[in-house]
Amino acid sequence: MSDEPAAFASMSRKVPFEIALGAAILAAWVILAIGAPVFAGADPNAIDLLAILQPPSLNHPFGTDHLGRDVFARVVFGARIDVWMGVAGVLPPLVIGVTVGLFSGYFGGLLDTVMMRLVDITVAFPFFILVIAIVGMLGPGLGNYFIALALVAWVSYARLIRAEVVVLKNAEYIQAARALGYHPLYIVLRHVLPNAISPIVVYAMSDAVLVILAGASLGFLGLGAQPPTAEWGVMIADGQPYVIDAWWICFFPGLAAVTLGLGFLLVSDGLAHALKVTS
Amino acid sequence: MIWRSIGAAAAVAACILTGAGSAGSEELVRIASPYKTTTLDPSRSAAAGNIETFGQLYARLLRRDQNGELAPGLAESWEISDDGKTVTLTLRDAKFSDGSPITAEDVVFSLLRVRDHPESAYPAPLQQLAEAKAKDEKTVVLTLEHPFAPFLGNLEVFNAGIVSKTDVEARGEEEAFASDPVTSGPYQVREWRPNDRLVLEASPNYWREGYPKNDGAELIEVGSENTRVAMMLSGEVDAAREIPWSQVSDLQTREGLEMPLEPSTVIYMTLLNEGRAPFDDVRVRQAAAHAIDVKAVAKAMTFGHAEPANTTLPGALDFHHSEYPGIAYDPAKAKALLEESDYDGEDIVILISDIADIDKLAVLLQAQWAAVGLKAKIEKVDRGVWWERIPNGDYDAAPSWWYNETMDPDLAARWALCGTCGNRSFYTNYDDPKVNELIEAAAAEFDPEKRTALYHEIQEITTTEVSQIPLYYPPFTNAYSARVEGLQMTPALQWTLEETEVVE
Amino acid sequence: MSRLSVIGQRLLHLIPVLIGISVISFLLVKLSPGDPIRMLLGDRATEEAVSMVRERYGLDRPLLEQYLVYIGNLLQGDLGRSIRYRLPVGELILDFLPRTLFLVLYVMCLSVPATVLLAIAAARNQGGWIDQSIRVLSVCGMTIPVFWLAVMLSRFFGVELGWFPVSGYGETFIEHLHHLFLPAVSTAVWLVPLLVRNLRAAILEQMEADYVTASRSKGLPEGYIFRRHIFLNSVLPTLHLLGVMVAFLIGSSVVVEIVYAVPGLGALMISSVIGRDYYVVQGLTLVYALGTVLVTLTVDVISTLVDPRVKL
Repeated sequence: MSDEPAAFASMSRKVPFEIALGAAILAAWVILAIGAPVFAGADPNAIDLLAILQPPSLNHPFGTDHLGRDVFARVVFGARIDVWMGVAGVLPPLVIGVTVGLFSGYFGGLLDTVMMRLVDITVAFPFFILVIAIVGMLGPGLGNYFIALALVAWVSYARLIRAEVVVLKNAEYIQAARALGYHPLYIVLRHVLPNAISPIVVYAMSDAVLVILAGASLGFLGLGAQPPTAEWGVMIADGQPYVIDAWWICFFPGLAAVTLGLGFLLVSDGLAHALKVTS
Repeated sequence: MIWRSIGAAAAVAACILTGAGSAGSEELVRIASPYKTTTLDPSRSAAAGNIETFGQLYARLLRRDQNGELAPGLAESWEISDDGKTVTLTLRDAKFSDGSPITAEDVVFSLLRVRDHPESAYPAPLQQLAEAKAKDEKTVVLTLEHPFAPFLGNLEVFNAGIVSKTDVEARGEEEAFASDPVTSGPYQVREWRPNDRLVLEASPNYWREGYPKNDGAELIEVGSENTRVAMMLSGEVDAAREIPWSQVSDLQTREGLEMPLEPSTVIYMTLLNEGRAPFDDVRVRQAAAHAIDVKAVAKAMTFGHAEPANTTLPGALDFHHSEYPGIAYDPAKAKALLEESDYDGEDIVILISDIADIDKLAVLLQAQWAAVGLKAKIEKVDRGVWWERIPNGDYDAAPSWWYNETMDPDLAARWALCGTCGNRSFYTNYDDPKVNELIEAAAAEFDPEKRTALYHEIQEITTTEVSQIPLYYPPFTNAYSARVEGLQMTPALQWTLEETEVVE
Repeated sequence: MSRLSVIGQRLLHLIPVLIGISVISFLLVKLSPGDPIRMLLGDRATEEAVSMVRERYGLDRPLLEQYLVYIGNLLQGDLGRSIRYRLPVGELILDFLPRTLFLVLYVMCLSVPATVLLAIAAARNQGGWIDQSIRVLSVCGMTIPVFWLAVMLSRFFGVELGWFPVSGYGETFIEHLHHLFLPAVSTAVWLVPLLVRNLRAAILEQMEADYVTASRSKGLPEGYIFRRHIFLNSVLPTLHLLGVMVAFLIGSSVVVEIVYAVPGLGALMISSVIGRDYYVVQGLTLVYALGTVLVTLTVDVISTLVDPRVKL
């Protein structure tokens, strides 16, 4: 392609913009979440039976739900839980999965065999069973959902990174580093990890979105946030019977999830690129 | 790009397949319901879904006619002795689906099976039956422990259906009901796909001449309410149960659809656990009841389609006390009662499961109780856990619903209000000796006027003492297509399938 | 070692995995609270009947004994009987399996070509409007709640236009395609973006790899480099993700199965978990495990074909 250098140059200009935009969206949600009582303008749990299912208006910019609660206030308060969910639901499995995948892929042998059998067992478990059982034993609530997630979701990370590492460990520069007698730990952390991490980062950000949505589908089993807590996923699930007549109950929390997801994904793209540049 | 290719594929598929969905020459009545058929043995379950199925497969001695009155079923006629303790029924010449005659032996076998079998799920309707005997081929003599007014009505309950003694003994209980039971009702099983659908076909030997008026029926399990609506709108089914309240008005205006909102024996209420503080104190229960604006709750929950409840018994039942004013909405009184009670300000637990709309109800109760100073937190669990915690008394309040399978209030009262009938008043631990006595007295009373007075007294006492907090009496939100005529649901959850004609 | 013997060895690895799964699933299901019998017999069932049925299924015996009985039956190929339906679990699962497999394959047939086309288009036009619109669309695809999309598609294409049925599975192959089209599309809408993002990132990474620059400097045509090097090397991580997702779909197509009333494994699983139908849940878990391991194995074998550097 004749315009290759130009494209490359324009790309490097775009990277910071992407991260900046994504970070700005995430920051906006974090600020909204922290300042929820100020921004919401209404009590998210205040019921008004005389004003149920009202379409968006000046008084209620996002309309009201089936109990006359202000959807805007609930979306803003819901950010507190959902932003937290995107972090707490992703980080622990990511750390566990990357650690397992990195070492078992690099060192191979017995460690790899055992770890991969563990991966096989975990991955073979239907997600809902595990979550129901764990939450059943620990009690309902979001905290236990995170624990269940950590126990299940690490597998995707472990496999993704292992697939990368298995290829990388035969690369010439890694072999060279080994020949030079560097400590294996140093090689793994300094050379393998940075080169293997980009699909992980990309996946983690999309995973954050999936975690938020999966949290919603757990709501109906009584395993997500407990009512009347405002949480986007539960709001969407609650709005289900009204999806035809009162679209706004599902739509706005859905839109909130889309924008939060967009934030995560933009940062993910930017980071993926940045990581590649530094390595 | 993906959209374009999907669009193209869609168009192609649509062209190829136009008309592929049209039905064959057979006229099946297709019904979508969220409730499952889990067994074909009428004695083994009393769960919604199964009872709808049992009603179609097994005929009872008596039936309800179109006005809801008791009419002859398999029994052509009956006589009650003067002391009220002996019922003699004469059977008509009827046949099972396999062509064998329905005899007095089969009747005795079926009834005793429900009463005595250790795995019989719901023996309550036949609890007063002391002895059942086949006097001859066509005569059954039933002797009661004591005079019992609701007895004939109980012979119409879903699990009093007649099964074939010969077949059950020949194939064994498991095999006989596994997939193709011999039936006495309007239908027999063509195909049962558990967790999916039950396909019925007309029994060639049903005793009512000319019935069923269709070739068969398909009872399809559809868990999602939006899907049931979509199936109705696209004509994939002829009837659907439990249309969401918010879509009722919309569907009522659609051409080719009907939503008659038939009366039901369903009552929405909240259980209060009287086995532990704070609801062991009647003042706290009364405070909790006065705090709730039942009219507003009924309106909010059902978009104005349900009557607010005024007593602890379902509004459609015989002897319902419709003039009773109910528990007044009076937050000031609630606060006063609460202050004078032993309530210590601790959070109570509202235990809910995953049934439709119940979150909404729980949040409403929580808010109205909070307004008078009764603090509550909601715990949502799945149904398996709910049914473990309720009998164990591990809850404070539990909004839910129940219904009665006959119009007579006897079974309802024993189930929900009686402390000595086996389930401690629906596991609320409510136990008033006076009420327990009145329930027995009302059942033994044959004079309708006196029975009315007794049941009114029961409702007054239990409502004042707040054995449960009655909330509202919803009608059925069934939708029907114009393709069928004569299909409805009786208040006791039975489809009038045999009367149904496919007209288009 | 020959590829075949490696595959054989991998199948042997399956045994400890299956044992591990059977133990853990048994414990999890048994230890999770909830009473199956009450839901089965109905609200008004008597305490006596409830305890009788519990006894009948051996649910009152010690856990170890229950497990040993279960394993004993399992070794004879008997998955047990459904508590709810009193039917053999194997029969029940075989009844539901084809529908879910059909759906998953259908989803794959829609998703894989779309993924490859979109990812290549995005990567080759990086930063351009095509790339940006694909990105925005994929964000929407991933974040739109599946049930919402499913309800909307069924209302529009099923009810308003009448092009597709809104429920069921049909009887013939053509009918299956017709009935499952909307469910498959509803699933593909979130699956494709996930795969596209992954593949696009991998392609971009490869495009800047040293060997690509070297090939370019040798004057090899861009199209050749892309087909011969970049694409093949990028496909590996996505293949693994696809494997994970196929396995995930087998057990988790539940939302679309419920919205479109398709009686598949996902719907059976959820209703069995809620109904605490222990043996069905365990049987499904084992079948599901078997499927997952086979999918993984297939992906690994394909990986070695794509990239000889990967060892099985």
